[in-house]
Amino acid sequence: MGGYGDIKLLNDDGTRLDGRAVDEMRPVEIKAGVLPVADGSAWVKHGLNVAVAAVYGPMEAHPRKIQRQDRAVIDVRYNMAPFSTSDRIRPGFNRRSREISKVTAEALESVVLVERYPRSKIRVEIEILAAEAGTRCVGITAASVALADAGIPMRDMIVGVASGKIEGVVVLDLDKAEDNYGQADLPMGILPNTGEMAFLQMDGDLSVEEYNLACEYNYKAASEIHELMKQALLDSASRGDA
Amino acid sequence: MVQLVPQLLRQQLAELAANDERIDGRSRWQGRDVELEVDILYNAEGSAKVVMGDTIVYVGVKFDTAAPYSDRPTSGSLMTGAELRPVAHRKYEPGPPSPESIELGRVVDRGIRESGCMDMESLCIVPGESVWRVMIDLHVLSDGGNIFDACATAAIAALRTATVPAKRFDVGEDFKLELKSTPVMCSFTRVGGRYVYDANEAEELGGDERVHITLGDEGHLHSLQKGLKGVLMPEEFAEILAQAGVRCAELRELIYSKEA
Repeated sequence: MGGYGDIKLLNDDGTRLDGRAVDEMRPVEIKAGVLPVADGSAWVKHGLNVAVAAVYGPMEAHPRKIQRQDRAVIDVRYNMAPFSTSDRIRPGFNRRSREISKVTAEALESVVLVERYPRSKIRVEIEILAAEAGTRCVGITAASVALADAGIPMRDMIVGVASGKIEGVVVLDLDKAEDNYGQADLPMGILPNTGEMAFLQMDGDLSVEEYNLACEYNYKAASEIHELMKQALLDSASRGDA
Repeated sequence: MVQLVPQLLRQQLAELAANDERIDGRSRWQGRDVELEVDILYNAEGSAKVVMGDTIVYVGVKFDTAAPYSDRPTSGSLMTGAELRPVAHRKYEPGPPSPESIELGRVVDRGIRESGCMDMESLCIVPGESVWRVMIDLHVLSDGGNIFDACATAAIAALRTATVPAKRFDVGEDFKLELKSTPVMCSFTRVGGRYVYDANEAEELGGDERVHITLGDEGHLHSLQKGLKGVLMPEEFAEILAQAGVRCAELRELIYSKEA
């Protein structure tokens, strides 16, 4: 959230540079069961972002020291492909991907019925193939669908959504320019059935009123994306390859 | 992770081979259907996706500028990286690049580099100071066997669609990367005692050594690699080389068919 000077992000008629209304999200497409060798998988296209998630397990947790006697551990790796960004990124973990992996794992641990699988491990691999702002949210959505596709019991799925602020106006689902030059970003992981939040981050500058509006936009978007997630799982199940 | 290579699988593959059959019903030199999509990733300057049976790979091409090597002041450079990330199979672990992934990147790199398909001199910006660096990243999403051919096919297809982003680097107008030829790889694995083309996951698990052959437009050899434990006779190599000629031509046609 730089808020660098004079970059114009809103048109004179109040729409955004890509023509969206302030409370309009980018187009979203979701497919489940896309990777043949994984136990569960999902592909999510959100705007120009493309994320693929694979789930392996539950399997024996090793090394032994990571085992928990009363529950499964969820091992999440969020990774950006080297060609996913404008400038190539060096392969391997960095501080950003480690933090996102950690908070994503913690969010998923709050919905997966981990106590059903003591001493085991569930591996969740999130690969970002193309990035256009909001990849952590797209990754969470993909991971949730992949877990469901793997048949792992959950209290609810998590929908990753974000709102933010550009030129003093609260908008839903920041694109790349809005993320780079906007004033705030509020990514959330929402449980659509219970209304709880399992993932929450924010940076920038928001008044309480602006936060409330951004939150409202996020919940509205979450219920829309949730329908697509359910449909993707139904389609995959009816193809018989889930 | 410990790979339990089941003796039962080896035995089954040997019995099938004795009847000239394969575990998925294919004939000995028959490949799986190949799906190829090009120019599919928004931030990559060239990209391709290949699906071969249960194998899915993405390849992205990126460019940046760098100082040339001092002994080749007007020549651009090429780098090919491969990652066998844990997304692709439960057998892959996180961590630094494994010997397997390094071999994959280097074998694909050699086929492209040694075929001379890229005019490295055309990638010079300022002699002795600045040249284009072409970076190919092989990203395996699902390893259902024969990731080498899938990666090599996707890599050359991605290169053929790549645009050099000169404008973004403030060194002139964008231009298409020019390729003079289309090197294509074909891989063979010893399964049940004899070589087959395009091994699937079970055939790799219960098979032995593999041979990778990259052929250019004229059928010339540009890279060879024998991987894994095992030995072969010159007659066996002659047989698979003849098959490679046929199959490479088919793959080359597939790559051409995706171009406007």
